[in-house]
Amino acid sequence: MAALPTQQITAPDGGPTEPAPLAKRSWYRSSSRSGGAVSFVFRFLLAAIIIMAALFPLAWMAISGFKARNEVVTSPFQFFPDVWMPQNYTEILADPSFTRALAVSFAGAVAFATLTLAVNSMAAYAFARLDFAFKNVLWVAVLSTMFIPQMAILITSYIVVTRMGMLNTFWVLLVPGAAAGIHTFFIRQFYLGIPSSLEEAALLDGAGRWRIFTLIFLPMSKPVFVVVGITSFLVFWNAYVWPVLTITEPDSPLTQIQQYLATFRSERRVEYGLLLAGSTMAAMPVIVLFLIFQRYIISGIRISGIK
Amino acid sequence: MRTKTATAARAGASPSGRRRPKHKDNRIAFAMIAPAVILLSIFVVWPLVYAWVVSFYQWSFYESSVFVGLRNFRIVLEDPVFWASIGRGLTFSAITVPAILLIAFAFANLVKTMSARMAGVLKVSIYIPSVISFVIASIVFVLIFEYRQGLLNFLISSFGGSDVAWIGSARTALLAISVPAIWIGLGLASLIMLAGLLDIPESYYEAAEMEGANWFQRTFFITIPLMKNILLYVLVTTFVATIQQYELPLVMTQGGPTQSTLLPNLLIFQKFTNDLYLGYPIAAALLLFLVLGAISAVIFKLINSEKAVDG
Repeated sequence: MAALPTQQITAPDGGPTEPAPLAKRSWYRSSSRSGGAVSFVFRFLLAAIIIMAALFPLAWMAISGFKARNEVVTSPFQFFPDVWMPQNYTEILADPSFTRALAVSFAGAVAFATLTLAVNSMAAYAFARLDFAFKNVLWVAVLSTMFIPQMAILITSYIVVTRMGMLNTFWVLLVPGAAAGIHTFFIRQFYLGIPSSLEEAALLDGAGRWRIFTLIFLPMSKPVFVVVGITSFLVFWNAYVWPVLTITEPDSPLTQIQQYLATFRSERRVEYGLLLAGSTMAAMPVIVLFLIFQRYIISGIRISGIK
Repeated sequence: MRTKTATAARAGASPSGRRRPKHKDNRIAFAMIAPAVILLSIFVVWPLVYAWVVSFYQWSFYESSVFVGLRNFRIVLEDPVFWASIGRGLTFSAITVPAILLIAFAFANLVKTMSARMAGVLKVSIYIPSVISFVIASIVFVLIFEYRQGLLNFLISSFGGSDVAWIGSARTALLAISVPAIWIGLGLASLIMLAGLLDIPESYYEAAEMEGANWFQRTFFITIPLMKNILLYVLVTTFVATIQQYELPLVMTQGGPTQSTLLPNLLIFQKFTNDLYLGYPIAAALLLFLVLGAISAVIFKLINSEKAVDG
């Protein structure tokens, strides 16, 4: 009897999606009613543990940003501060090199994502729709760049950008990673799925390929652009090793947020509250971005079924 | 190309295109792929070719290089530190990969039984850590592993244990850095597994239940065999990602204590930033590349053919 309400909770409450009805069957059917209740409690606990484990470090980071400096690591452990102090947050925001690092990271990530989308979507369209000489050879060449591990070319890329005089410029952060076989591949897959009838009508009307790309394909690209755009935003925002190598001037105006945090950690070890407040501020933009676009991202990984 | 078509037109080929050019979109196509191809050539293909060239020289920024043949490769292959780092990398993967696979599999099965709203919350929660940078993850986990008064040691001592210097001792440091690696790596693996799980037709489970199969039987005789390709894909991509990890040990431990977290890529990176001659790190990187590039290419081929089948 007690199990009934819980069964109703897991029943598909008006969800037209397929997997929910299965939920009822796959776990309960073979067990007795009380077994069903146990399984519900068990699954609920498991879900709670997973959510806790995933989000705890971030929650702890954000909350510890409100603690006095000697309160972050204490014995006995305290999750919440004795006194909530926004000082760490206001102080780190008042540090001009912190806000500059945030701004440089943000502007750079937006520029990088835009450049990535432009370069790779043009190539993707050509490889998906156009007929040209050496197409297959070029496509295999572009694709095979996907399998080159970062470390294999890190050192010589550094030599190349050094020889090109790009060290300590904005370009060294922006240009080398902009073209990526994986992005071209991903956008091309999407373009292959767009029916060619749309295009043929435009061709008959005399539209050129460039017009077709900009007026038909680009407006339809939103789902795939969100995934690729966010991915490259993240890559830029989270980049640490490449900027450390290529932005070498101390206190360079191009210092980005991850570099700032890593330097802060090694140089001002004891100011944990300040460091965690800064880390929280640095994590916030990407989390917010993910939450806004998570539907696209999740469907981008070919998730179908449950929403 | 351009003059050829021009002369063809002048020679009076019929305007309706009785003799169509072989590749009709050459000019616009080359213009559209040019940025990508040029950038890839300069910043990916050339560095790779260049790496092979440099690997045969005694090369540094400051002197003219000397051809040394395969000496760099020999030095790497004879270096016990290199092999130790490979072993350590495999140990690191042996900790992180099974953990990621098992948790992601459990997660996918759990999400499948949840109501739509709960499933959404779970998916978003598990994915959020994977957008966090390794630097921030390092900062947070270093504080959690803190010897005096860190969170983990607090928990242990409240169960009656004694403090452990998690990242300060060579015995536990590798284990400690694998925790944030699992935390970050879990999101993508879980969602891919979920996608694979949802692709399995319902009717298989219904039939199995009618036959009286229990949960374990359904998992081992339906779910796992049908998810073979997904599991293999997640296994290999996770392995390739973890064996290349070096940012976490770089920020958390700098490879220490006593090289206990000196993973292969971190060794290469440290040789690159500290050594005068770049032969060693480049040769080591190329040796790893040969193995890992081949693994990823095979897997990609497998997955891509799979994709072609189900459209």
